Amino acid sequence: MLLKTSLRSLLAHKGRMVLSLIAIVLSVAFVSGTLVFSDTATSTFDKLFASTASDVQVSPAPPKGGNAADTGGKTLTVPATTLAQLTAQPGVKSAEGSVSVQSATLVNPKTNKAVGPTGGAPTIVGAWVPGPHPAMTVTSGSAPSGPRQMMIDADTAKHANLHLGDPIRIIGDQGTFDFTISGIATFTGTNPGAALAFTDVPTAQQDLLGSTGGYTSIDLYGDGSKTDDQLKAEVGAVVGSDYQAKTAAEQKADNQKGIGSFLDFMKYVMLGFAGISLLVGAFLIINTFSMLVAQRTREIGLLRALGGSRKQVNRSVLIEALLLGVIGSTLGMAAGLGIALLLIQLMKLAGMNLSTSLDISASVPIASYLVGIVITVLAAWIPARRAGKVSPMAALSDHGTPSEGASNKIRMALGLLVTLGGGALLAAGATAKQLAAGGSDLGLGLVLTLIGFVILGPLLAGVVIRLLGAVLPALFGPAGRLAQRNALRNPRRTGATAAALMIGLALVTGASVVTNSMVSSTSAQIDKSVGADYIITVNHGGLTAPMIAAAKGTAGLAHVTEQRELPATFTLPGGKSVDQLVSAVSPTFAQDFSLPVSSGSVNGLAAGGITVDANFAKDNSLKVGDRIGIDYGKGRTQSLPIALVTSTGNQIFDRHFFATIDTVDQAVPADQQPTDVVVFGKAAAGADVEKTLTALQDSLNAYPQVSVQDQAGYKKLVQKSVDTLLYLVYGLLGLAIMVAVLGVVNTLALSVVERTREIGLLRAIGLSRRQLRRMIRLESVVIALFGAILGTGLGLSWGITTQRVLRNSGLNVLSVPVGTIVVVLLLSAVVGLLAALLPAFRAARMNVLAAIASG
Amino acid sequence: MTTASTAVQASENPGGPSASAAAARQVTKAYGSGETRVTALDAVDVDIQRGRFTAIMGPSGSGKSTLMHCLAGLDTVSEGRIWIGDTEITGLRDKQLTRLRRDKIGFIFQAFNLLPTLNALENITLPMDIAGRKADPAWLQQVVETVGLADRLKHRPTQLSGGQQQRVAVARALAARPEIIFGDEPTGNLDSRSGAEVLTFLRRSVDELAQTIVMVTHDPVAASYADRVLFLADGVIVDEMHGPTADSVLERMRRFDGKRTS
Ligand SMILES: Nc1ncnc2c1ncn2[C@@H]1O[C@H](COP(=O)(O)OP(=O)(O)O)[C@@H](O)[C@H]1O
Ligand SMILES: [Mg+2]
Repeated sequence: MLLKTSLRSLLAHKGRMVLSLIAIVLSVAFVSGTLVFSDTATSTFDKLFASTASDVQVSPAPPKGGNAADTGGKTLTVPATTLAQLTAQPGVKSAEGSVSVQSATLVNPKTNKAVGPTGGAPTIVGAWVPGPHPAMTVTSGSAPSGPRQMMIDADTAKHANLHLGDPIRIIGDQGTFDFTISGIATFTGTNPGAALAFTDVPTAQQDLLGSTGGYTSIDLYGDGSKTDDQLKAEVGAVVGSDYQAKTAAEQKADNQKGIGSFLDFMKYVMLGFAGISLLVGAFLIINTFSMLVAQRTREIGLLRALGGSRKQVNRSVLIEALLLGVIGSTLGMAAGLGIALLLIQLMKLAGMNLSTSLDISASVPIASYLVGIVITVLAAWIPARRAGKVSPMAALSDHGTPSEGASNKIRMALGLLVTLGGGALLAAGATAKQLAAGGSDLGLGLVLTLIGFVILGPLLAGVVIRLLGAVLPALFGPAGRLAQRNALRNPRRTGATAAALMIGLALVTGASVVTNSMVSSTSAQIDKSVGADYIITVNHGGLTAPMIAAAKGTAGLAHVTEQRELPATFTLPGGKSVDQLVSAVSPTFAQDFSLPVSSGSVNGLAAGGITVDANFAKDNSLKVGDRIGIDYGKGRTQSLPIALVTSTGNQIFDRHFFATIDTVDQAVPADQQPTDVVVFGKAAAGADVEKTLTALQDSLNAYPQVSVQDQAGYKKLVQKSVDTLLYLVYGLLGLAIMVAVLGVVNTLALSVVERTREIGLLRAIGLSRRQLRRMIRLESVVIALFGAILGTGLGLSWGITTQRVLRNSGLNVLSVPVGTIVVVLLLSAVVGLLAALLPAFRAARMNVLAAIASG
Repeated sequence: MTTASTAVQASENPGGPSASAAAARQVTKAYGSGETRVTALDAVDVDIQRGRFTAIMGPSGSGKSTLMHCLAGLDTVSEGRIWIGDTEITGLRDKQLTRLRRDKIGFIFQAFNLLPTLNALENITLPMDIAGRKADPAWLQQVVETVGLADRLKHRPTQLSGGQQQRVAVARALAARPEIIFGDEPTGNLDSRSGAEVLTFLRRSVDELAQTIVMVTHDPVAASYADRVLFLADGVIVDEMHGPTADSVLERMRRFDGKRTS
């Protein structure tokens, strides 16, 4: 019986449910799409790695404190003698030595531009060693042979417009080498998005490693008599601790991790979208059901008068929600498949070919239905309870809407309590001395203020809209006054509608305050501490000796300051050991930078000391003169006195341990040190700074992966790196706004239906269509602006607190993007206008007589 | 058939200055088509005299509301022509009709006359607000006092009784000084005492303020407040009565019912 009533009611109000349904479908689609996509991607890569991995792979053990490839360090090798040894190992059918490095840059000599992916995926240059089950096959031309031939992958060839016979160049740690393209190879399965280039083995050894006879890894294929694990154990015993052996499964896991972190990022972004649309969708559902309950108050009252119990009424509403949830989840899951396909196409554009036969595991329907149904039923809970509370008297009263006043006091008290609690936490976080304490205060304060604002929303609506609306009658006449009153007449609905927009804008405002402060802080830090005129950075690989030499030869340059990072293990006086990077710098570093001195002296650096930052010193009770034991691995150690403790608050120096290259040379021979990560230049006294910049750029013209910037250019670069973050934030904003628009449209559309008679009356006594539309538009704009004001207010408090919390961790300058905030507020007004389009159109089209007669 | 002759007598050309506040000529209104076609009004001729209180009576479904809606420009006619004052409204577009309703017509509906978000005074001045006109304060004062609402002006409709709400509606209709006020069963939802109050105000506004009023009703007592009663049956004006009393109207209705059933 109940089910039948609920079903009938759902069908009767299907028009009003449409937008709620869209919200559910949207959120569920994001969830299911994300799951299907990551399942499909994972299984595609699983298959690829499973088919290409060798049974056991032997490679040099990474040095202490990190991975050689990550730090631009020297490429470590396995000697040819080991290959011979392993080939003879029992159980090994064949062994292949391979060479591949990620530090070399591929350049098209015709354009002098780098070829291949610029960020994320690597450029891999190595020897062509197909092995028993190769990942790639030669599809045109021939495999490379001899010192002048190279084969590249088909996708890279296509993107860079390179063909057989074209010249190609690599710039690596060993220098610059030119080749002719002899062949094009194509992936048998999925291209993970990297650029690949191959030469024959001796050429790769010579040009990439600097000497023949070494390999970066050795792939072993068993004869089937032993398991991979047995083989690994035996091989491990043979090669010793300088090398590591990995089974096929371990290799697969490693590869998976590399791709996985990128896929995980995609997954979290998508789930972020899903989260936002879920949150906003929930408000939409609350509003829809609230309005349905309000409209049916008399009907429900009658039901109660005839003997229906509270529970029955309550349950009939929840069952209606359940039905809506089931329908929404089903549609959403299906739409999710579309999203997954779309993502796969998107990946294809980015150069990653995933299988288009979707992999749908059981988790997809489970998650879809769980998310869709739980959210819908939870959101309908409050209106359902309200429906249950309708008294049988309501059936008799004329204005049968449930009163709102009763719970306002409780709401006010609770909302104030939570908001004030959150505010106090934010304040505490902003003034906290300790970063960790400030951070946890910030996190909790953020959540509490958000919840508090959502609770207080309906009450704030009264205040804010009264203020906002005060100007409406003056500006827009009667339509303005009617709009203001309409926005105020149901504060709970207005609050819930505006909350959707509020959340989105709070996030964006907060994030833009933080990113803006980041840029300003970094600029200020550069202004304050960088005396160098030029900053030379490299996009891919390291800054090699020939590059430094080329830079040094530039006319008008006084000197260059190199900086390279060496992974090491520190042993502190207390006996504690930590993995850190030592930043080895030229002695001129002290001239190019004004180091912020907490204690000690800059001179100590040149005298063979090391710097630590004040936080590190404090946490480990270190002072100037204490000695730190430094172990670079492979027996290369030294003990350095602390020459200088740098004060914190400047990212250039925080968490950095500077020593001069001369000091580090004493433990690590120069030819074993990694390439530079950054080089600074200083113009000679009297030289033209501008001209020298151009000269320096000209000197390094042969290296397209290197960029030379003056301070202004470098600041722009910092800005640009933050921009990526901002774009993500704006993407989220876009979605939040889109769903918030849905929310406003939903509320307005339902309100228009609810106020049919009023609209009829207004039209009868002479309100023109244009005035009617304006009335609805203004109401919409007022709701949107209300949400935007709360959102930006909340976001500002979040952003400012975050800056305060991080003031000693590099974010020392607060910078509020006033322009962005003004634009966001204006945009919200536009959002309001857009949201009102359809409801206003429908209201204006209403037949006056039918409207009067209705209800 | 005295009715038809008086109606046609008035003027063949009601445009131009005449005694009629509103006039209808050969107005036919049909709903639906084919077998389901209902002729709600059948070639009706009507003249509403200025400064008089006219009641339209008839049994349920006789076309009273339809006639009023057509006269007031709320509904379109199938055939025939209608004038409000000097303006022919048949053929006007929505924009012009809206302006006409705003500037020249007042409405009192049976129920739901007021906007719940506005207080009594704001409801009263709403038509003028919409038009962007200022209310004449002296006139407003007089109207408010006439309907006895001076102490209720700041109240919202939900804080007023049904009778008070209808009085606010009457005040709203009067305040803008429209050429004509249309009421569709304005006392239909009220008890007899409140109904009598509202009808008294309507009567006084005709006598003291020289307002023109057309009221649809099926209540003979209500009709007795009018100067003239038009009787409608099956979409045709079948009779009219001047200076009616409740008894005479009731008597006429009975005859009319008898005739119908016979
Ligand atoms: N919108 C409509 N559609 C179809 N028929 C209608 C419509 N409005 C009224 N009618 C019909 O027109 C006739 C007159 O209706 P109405 O003017 O409302 O009568 P009254 O007000 O005298 O009770 C009735 O038969 C009614 O059923
Ligand atoms: Mg009627």
